[in-house]
Amino acid sequence: MKLKKVMAVVLAGVMMASLAGCSTKSNVKINVIADLKGTTVGVQTGTTGDILVTDDKELGVKTVEHYNKGFEAVQSLIQGKIDAVVIDDQPAKVFVEKNKGLKIIDEEYTSEDYAIGIAKGNTELKDKINAAIAQIKEDGTLQGIIDYYIGNVEGSSPYVKKDVERPNGTLVMATNAEFPPYESIEGNSVVGLDVDMAQAIADILGMDLKVEDMAFDSIIANITTGKSDIGVAGLTDTEDRRQSIDFSDSYYTGRQVIIVKE
Amino acid sequence: MEEFYQRFVSNFIEDNRYMYLVRGLITTLVITFFAVMIGALLGFIIAIIRSTYSKTGKLRVLNFLCNIYITVIRGTPVVVQLLIIYFVIFGSVNINKIFVAVLAFGLNSGAYVSEIVRSGIMSVDEGQFEAGRSLGFNYNQTMRLIILPQAIKNILPALGNEFIVLLKETSVCGFIALEDLTKAGDIIRGRTYDAFMPLIAVALIYLTLVIIFTKLVNYLERRLRNSDH
Repeated sequence: MKLKKVMAVVLAGVMMASLAGCSTKSNVKINVIADLKGTTVGVQTGTTGDILVTDDKELGVKTVEHYNKGFEAVQSLIQGKIDAVVIDDQPAKVFVEKNKGLKIIDEEYTSEDYAIGIAKGNTELKDKINAAIAQIKEDGTLQGIIDYYIGNVEGSSPYVKKDVERPNGTLVMATNAEFPPYESIEGNSVVGLDVDMAQAIADILGMDLKVEDMAFDSIIANITTGKSDIGVAGLTDTEDRRQSIDFSDSYYTGRQVIIVKE
Repeated sequence: MEEFYQRFVSNFIEDNRYMYLVRGLITTLVITFFAVMIGALLGFIIAIIRSTYSKTGKLRVLNFLCNIYITVIRGTPVVVQLLIIYFVIFGSVNINKIFVAVLAFGLNSGAYVSEIVRSGIMSVDEGQFEAGRSLGFNYNQTMRLIILPQAIKNILPALGNEFIVLLKETSVCGFIALEDLTKAGDIIRGRTYDAFMPLIAVALIYLTLVIIFTKLVNYLERRLRNSDH
């Protein structure tokens, strides 16, 4: 019986300690970036939002919480577990649209250039992809895709796969399909701006496109180990990442924004 | 070699990144320790209820509830249970995440421990029970003084196994943004884009923990076996 009593006491202690650790719902009002001082901010592990917030000492964030998925960070924000979420502006818009009581702070945090990740030293593929990007920029294909997914321009439509010969093998694309409108899952396939653009590039290169969905923080490891040829997932071209992979020319400039409760 | 050293520095030394691992290790140990406590306590209580029911037919209602608990817990993955506790049960409260994890893993482990303990109780010869009763002990005394001590000795290896599994299972804590050991490796991985170093480091730490724990269980087993001779 003694053992049980000891355990009961220990348990009671744990419960008390844990309950004491639960703070009440936070009521921090955040209207400008400077208000983030001393708050708890959620990010998706390995994204530029994560790196920015963790390294930005001036921001003065108290704790950074690393979620596996952007939407889980947003969910925690809705439930009052954290005070703000730093994320790319386009997914942020989708999240705010779909959830009442959220808003995006009207101040730009940073802007960033999205590019395609390619294995280090694979200049042959990089040159081909850069040429293809230049071509779709030139002939308006890329703008058409952006108009459809981001601009919501009337009369625009998603990219249609071209009926061409594909003698040059398969282009394997690593992505993280949780970032609408860049990529998300619809039915059984991954759709979005990045996928359409990669398809347009594959059409030019005469290759089949194969999309592989995975955790965001695995994409770069997938490219370095040669499991995928390219990484297209709203990847920001940063100096740190250039240590591990090469980047194509930029295809879009996005922003990091901050979502808070209204 | 030079490159290896460079990678080691960027993964662990730069920006004091090893601190992620240290903090993660502490979190993992705290969660495992308290979850083991809850799991053992729950497991023993449930096993006693269930074996009392099968031996005497008493505690029908409690036995029924225990059966439901075991069915539900063993029938769903622990990571789903963790997410349900965090996002559904405590959905609208800003709750301490360590508490959530302790609760989830404790509840989960309890179901498995209860079956281990029950197998131990059932493995003790029926004659031991009869001997206890004929000595004048009542049911509770027989259980406590004769059956359970023998049962514990029998189930020790299986219990040790369960706790090792629990220690490693806590690696899914990252799903609720809790920075345990595995998540710590992931955070470093997200900063350095190196898969090898952080993953191997995390694996080595878990391995070391399990080896130490196994040694402890073996020692305990040896001590308990002394009474056999």
